[in-house]
Amino acid sequence: MNEPGFVAKTLLLTRKDLRIELRARDTLVPMLAFSFAVTLLLAFTLPTTGDNERAIAGASATTVADVLAGFFWVTILFAGLIGFARTFETEQTEGAIDALLLVPLDRSGMFLAKALANLIFILLVEAFLLPLFVLLFTLDVGSGLAPLLLVILLVDIGFVAVGTLFASVAAQTSSRELILPVLALPALIPVFIAGADLTSDLIAGGTFGTLVEAGWFGVLIAFDVILGITAALVFEFVLE
Amino acid sequence: MATSPTTRRSRNLKLLGSAAWGLLALSLIFIFFVAREADDYPGGGPLQRIFYFHVPSAWVAYLAFAVVFISSIAYLRTSERRWDLLAHGAAEIGVLFTSLVLITGPIWARPAWGTWWQWDARLTSTLILWLTYLGYLFLRSLTRDPARSGRLAAVVGIIGFLDVPIVHFSVRWWRTLHPSGPTPADPTRSSGLGGPELLAFFTALVAFTLLFAWLLATRVRIGRLEDEVDRLEIEAERPDRGPASGIPVST
Repeated sequence: MNEPGFVAKTLLLTRKDLRIELRARDTLVPMLAFSFAVTLLLAFTLPTTGDNERAIAGASATTVADVLAGFFWVTILFAGLIGFARTFETEQTEGAIDALLLVPLDRSGMFLAKALANLIFILLVEAFLLPLFVLLFTLDVGSGLAPLLLVILLVDIGFVAVGTLFASVAAQTSSRELILPVLALPALIPVFIAGADLTSDLIAGGTFGTLVEAGWFGVLIAFDVILGITAALVFEFVLE
Repeated sequence: MATSPTTRRSRNLKLLGSAAWGLLALSLIFIFFVAREADDYPGGGPLQRIFYFHVPSAWVAYLAFAVVFISSIAYLRTSERRWDLLAHGAAEIGVLFTSLVLITGPIWARPAWGTWWQWDARLTSTLILWLTYLGYLFLRSLTRDPARSGRLAAVVGIIGFLDVPIVHFSVRWWRTLHPSGPTPADPTRSSGLGGPELLAFFTALVAFTLLFAWLLATRVRIGRLEDEVDRLEIEAERPDRGPASGIPVST
């Protein structure tokens, strides 16, 4: 009989997490609710002009782009941390972690499965949040949409890699919810500054060309590659 | 009678401490009485002398976090307690010296830049570094079991250190006010320091490095003694095992 390979097993584990979520809906719903609440808060706090302009009263277009990009990523950051903290929640009860560890799959595959599930969660939140921003802040992405989606994906990869790893670390301690932001926030600062900066450029009319030339684009890719690979490698030492 | 390894180790530690503090005293003399040339420049004088403490502190901080990184990898590979003690001690010292960097920097920046703080790339990255290792120490304080605590901390120590160059490289794409010395891209760029100033600076640098080595060795020694106390306490709680007779208790 053919034993399924690394990719098949990893995807199987991801499917397991997605199915659990589909039935319980206890990760994605709080994430979405949180991101929605923050967005509404911002919509009421930011004084936008009435005449259908995507301008905050008295501010230049660049400032508006900076502010909106910053708020978008802050919302994602907090929504993500809320969700990622629950990464190992299901495995914490009734010794399910032992069953997970018995899966004949390399630990890096287990990490990929968890990270992939988290990536799908955060992408769903963004699929909800981006249109909401477009609607509420009359955000005009236009031709910048394709590069913006690329930036979002690149930020997500770094975010999910660090978030999933530190969630596994936090799950091994007594104060899970407390320690995850303490560990993850400093590590995530470069990826979110890069994301906010690039998003701001794109909102202000940037294109694929300006994106690729921006220094932060390189920072983002370096972060994803270096921390993504390292996280997958050291994960096996967390689960023992 | 040959001296026991413990006595020899403790003598070496004393020697290292004397060398570090002696050289530190010498560097103070150099800094305040020899390096006077820069006094005549604008921005020189007493203010410029912060440089002799600020830069060596930053160097020690980076050195300490590099030690955390290397010891963390070694600990994950070998599970040997000494690597964990080394990583823990180096992280504590690194946080201490990063704090010194973050204190001396603004004291200089206030008169020189007219502001205590700038969200400049290098300042921000130093702050991130400080927060990262505070989190590292916080994590260590949460877990009682030393093996688990060491394993989890090692993972954070590795990720935290790899984050440093990424943050640092962003200096090139973000505005910076921070002065920098010769760089690989511009090796001809002068640091603006004369002979006496360089003498004072390098003496301080060596003194700080020795101080780091001494603090680290002392911290590891304290860690070993703490382990020993734990071991004796466990033995004392088990009267059935008899008096401590050098039987190694699993740690």
